[in-house]
Amino acid sequence: MLRWRRRTRPRPWWLLVALFGMAALGPSSGATGSATQGLTAVIYPAAKLSVPASVGMTAASGKFSSFQASLPISYRVRSTAMGGGNIAVQVTSDFSPTGGPSAGAGAGALMYSCASASLGTPCAGTQVAAPNSQTPVLAIPAGACTGGGGACSPLDPNSVTINFTLSDDPGYATGSYSAQLTFVISST
Amino acid sequence: MSRTVLTVVLTTLALASLAQAQFNPSGTTTLSVNVGSDAAIQINTSNTTMATSGGAFSSDYTGQTSFIYKIRTSYSGGTGSITLRVTSDFNAGGPSVATPPTAGDALTYSCTVNSPGTGCSGTLTALMSAATSVATFGSNAKSTKAGNTGSTSWTLTNDPLYSTGTYTATVTYTISAA
Repeated sequence: MLRWRRRTRPRPWWLLVALFGMAALGPSSGATGSATQGLTAVIYPAAKLSVPASVGMTAASGKFSSFQASLPISYRVRSTAMGGGNIAVQVTSDFSPTGGPSAGAGAGALMYSCASASLGTPCAGTQVAAPNSQTPVLAIPAGACTGGGGACSPLDPNSVTINFTLSDDPGYATGSYSAQLTFVISST
Repeated sequence: MSRTVLTVVLTTLALASLAQAQFNPSGTTTLSVNVGSDAAIQINTSNTTMATSGGAFSSDYTGQTSFIYKIRTSYSGGTGSITLRVTSDFNAGGPSVATPPTAGDALTYSCTVNSPGTGCSGTLTALMSAATSVATFGSNAKSTKAGNTGSTSWTLTNDPLYSTGTYTATVTYTISAA
């Protein structure tokens, strides 16, 4: 009759490791040796960003002055010594429903400026966000890297702020409107 | 008990990791704006000079005040208005809105207001005791971005009882939208 017997004292783990190690060495030769192993790490340029899922614009003081909003962008980037990178934005879905503002209405319906970049150079002046093309947000220099100290930026992640301005045209019908913006980061 | 605590801790850690910013090669954000009713008015004629023409007392004093308005009323059920009120009467000795020297003397006006406004009908008498209509607006009334124009044409009775001199009154225009 077969009987199972419960093992109450398992073998120590280090004993098993030692046994396997001895088996791998084989018969003792009484000699020692050394070997070297080269390790090569190829670090590629990389870039990623994070933006809030939504941001609400609020009316500035004054009648029909403008709507404003600030959007912080966080990013991590590494560029090569001869490369660089950038962050760009595009209006991928215009304001809806119809009857309100439109980024494609011309005359700079949705404008923005860039500020407070902790790594790189923010866009200059006032930009017009467009539905049919990417427009600049940030220029990333060669040899840039997020965090890590030394030659890298001490901050992790890095950040830049976009300040949006939307003209308050009396021709907009009252209501709530929303648009979708896509930010893209790249580095070489 | 300890299992419950462990579960809570693990759940908290899981939620915290989800709450952290997600980094990707691209990201999207939804930009939203709530456009409400609003209105503004600019009086272009800061000083309206009223003058008379023709023979002695044959015509009243007349003048015109022009303005630009911007308005946006609610899409549904919205209303708006432009009104005026004499907030400072003519100085003593001359014409008066509140206490004219002769019954029937009055400061009256008519309105010309471009769409989407509807100008006041006929001739109205300006008052100190109440605001009177210049224009009205209906639902979803929207001016141009630069604003639309309007004017009030004034008439002041030319009463011989007025002492000679220069008299000034202040009229305040108010625009509103809902």
